[in-house]
Amino acid sequence: MRDDYRSSRRALDATDLARVAVMAATIAVLGLPGSFNVFGAVPITAQSLGVMLAGAILGPRLGALSVVVLLALTATGLPLLAGGRGGLGVFVGPSAGYAIGWIAAAFVIGLIVHATPYKPTVWRTALGVVVGGILVDYAFGIPVQSLVTRLPLGETALTSLVFVPGDLVKAVLATLVVVGLVRAYPRAFRRTWQPRKQRDTDDQVQAGR
Amino acid sequence: MVTLYRPGDGPWYRLPTGWKTALLLVVVLAVCLLPPTWWAAGVMAAVCVACYAVPGIGLRELGRQAWAARWIVVVTLAGQLIFLDPEHAVANAARVTTAITLAGLLTLTTPATELLDTVERAMQPLARLGLDPQRAALTLSVTLSTLPVLARLARDVREAQLARGGGRSLRHFAMPYLVMVLKHADELGDALAVRGVR
Repeated sequence: MRDDYRSSRRALDATDLARVAVMAATIAVLGLPGSFNVFGAVPITAQSLGVMLAGAILGPRLGALSVVVLLALTATGLPLLAGGRGGLGVFVGPSAGYAIGWIAAAFVIGLIVHATPYKPTVWRTALGVVVGGILVDYAFGIPVQSLVTRLPLGETALTSLVFVPGDLVKAVLATLVVVGLVRAYPRAFRRTWQPRKQRDTDDQVQAGR
Repeated sequence: MVTLYRPGDGPWYRLPTGWKTALLLVVVLAVCLLPPTWWAAGVMAAVCVACYAVPGIGLRELGRQAWAARWIVVVTLAGQLIFLDPEHAVANAARVTTAITLAGLLTLTTPATELLDTVERAMQPLARLGLDPQRAALTLSVTLSTLPVLARLARDVREAQLARGGGRSLRHFAMPYLVMVLKHADELGDALAVRGVR
């Protein structure tokens, strides 16, 4: 197992390729009909949760790549986005910027979550998913939406505030899941972390490192 | 996997994929440059009808595409009507609808495999930048074949969750699902390595 895959500029190996494929497919699966309920009976599309998880689990390079793979398949006419959307139309519609922004979002999330050689903490993970999954994605989405619909930037930003509560819920979920995964299945991240405290070392011994 | 492709025959089907993509993007771009006025909205509707009213497609299909985009149109129109006058709002909503339905022609008349091949061919010049088109194509097709496997896995996890009275909580779904999926990825990686993928 490699020590730090942020610094590695080598080509993908077969396992990287499979992990990219599996996370790309996961983002698609999270958009399938029969959506999940988060609080009570509010059905939401969980696709941006998939993007947050891809960045946090795979790291910046592979996380962004998995989104590229998903978008490339979508562009070829597979109805992989929430609500069975797909085809080239996705990339000329008002939400095109949000979809393209997912690439940068996954990259930034990966950068922040994998920023140190230590295990990601709750707060670093939360910071990563909020900055990448919400701020960066909106930074791409709102200008493109404004350009496509020709509604001025300020007004477009106002209308997109509707989606902020849902995205915050997904950021909380992503944080809980990522932190849980660090504890329960550290192999998921395919890297090792330096021990920070005595307790961390014990965790790694228990995990069989 | 059901794609958005509809088998058929006609001018749009016979056009080579690369040219068809370029042509449709040029038309979409031209439509986007029209000013937001009533007559421009009329021109856009006319362009849509002209592009769909050819042998092999038909106006019924145009109706289906527009219906599929109905929520995008409604949300766009509603947002615009709050801030702009009706002429701007209608013209802008018409432009969005036109762009989506015209772009839909490509996926409607080209099989996904043909589009994947075109993507691979279009990526050939990128090989000089260190991007391997064959590896990219392999990643796309591995993802494609993994999709049904993961969809089934997701259903299994969800059923187990419901059977234990776990409700429909996304959080309690995501953990076991991700563990299973990432284990599957490790096995898939080994299987690919055994078959000669470095």
